[in-house]
Amino acid sequence: MNVKVLLFATLRDRAGSKFLELEIPDAMNVGDLKHRIATDFPTLRESMNSVLVAINREYAFDEGLIPVNAEIAMFPPVSGG
Amino acid sequence: MSKLTLIEITQDEIDLDALLSRITSVNTGAAAIFTGLVRGFTQNGRQNVTEYLEYEAYQPMAEEKMKQVAEEIRIKWPDVEGIAMVQRVGRLFPQTPTVMIACSAAHRNTGVFEAARYGIDRLKEIVPVWKKEVGPNGEAWVEGEHIHEIRK
Repeated sequence: MNVKVLLFATLRDRAGSKFLELEIPDAMNVGDLKHRIATDFPTLRESMNSVLVAINREYAFDEGLIPVNAEIAMFPPVSGG
Repeated sequence: MSKLTLIEITQDEIDLDALLSRITSVNTGAAAIFTGLVRGFTQNGRQNVTEYLEYEAYQPMAEEKMKQVAEEIRIKWPDVEGIAMVQRVGRLFPQTPTVMIACSAAHRNTGVFEAARYGIDRLKEIVPVWKKEVGPNGEAWVEGEHIHEIRK
């Protein structure tokens, strides 16, 4: 399936884009998606070590599966306030 | 009063008085207000000058996470009545309020101080907002340290 991954802060700067679009297998998990991005997008490889992932606006972890039509976002540890 | 929760991410100036008036009623006897500001000088091993901070948010998720923090406050401190939580984004200069958490209740011994403290601490842990620091020597993203809290 085709997915769009929203990028914020350092990740957006390193990718030079607000989002990535890629084709992934159905039932891929978050950990595998991170590996895939580290491989396909070398400027993001280092970021994948500490990246936070949100699926449908909720934090998701490596074992979590990516549902169809998910809103996926990746970003560094937060620094608001 | 009904328990009003006010959540906002805004580019506009944070108006503390206006927000306070929205979470108070004739029954309110106390409000604890926390606001964070941009510092122009910081010591991080060496003197550091900040011209401004550039804040950005993943807005829809940030709003949902701020609502979650407010719900957590209501469970921990059920006597808190009004909660206002506002994060400002955009280019913010020293001395500017960047965030406000206010909790109101009938009396001060209802947990309003602790609730406001909890609110800002949780916001900094889980709400997806980031800031870039811009100074005379260039710019750098500030990355948080709360990855472990989110993952546990």
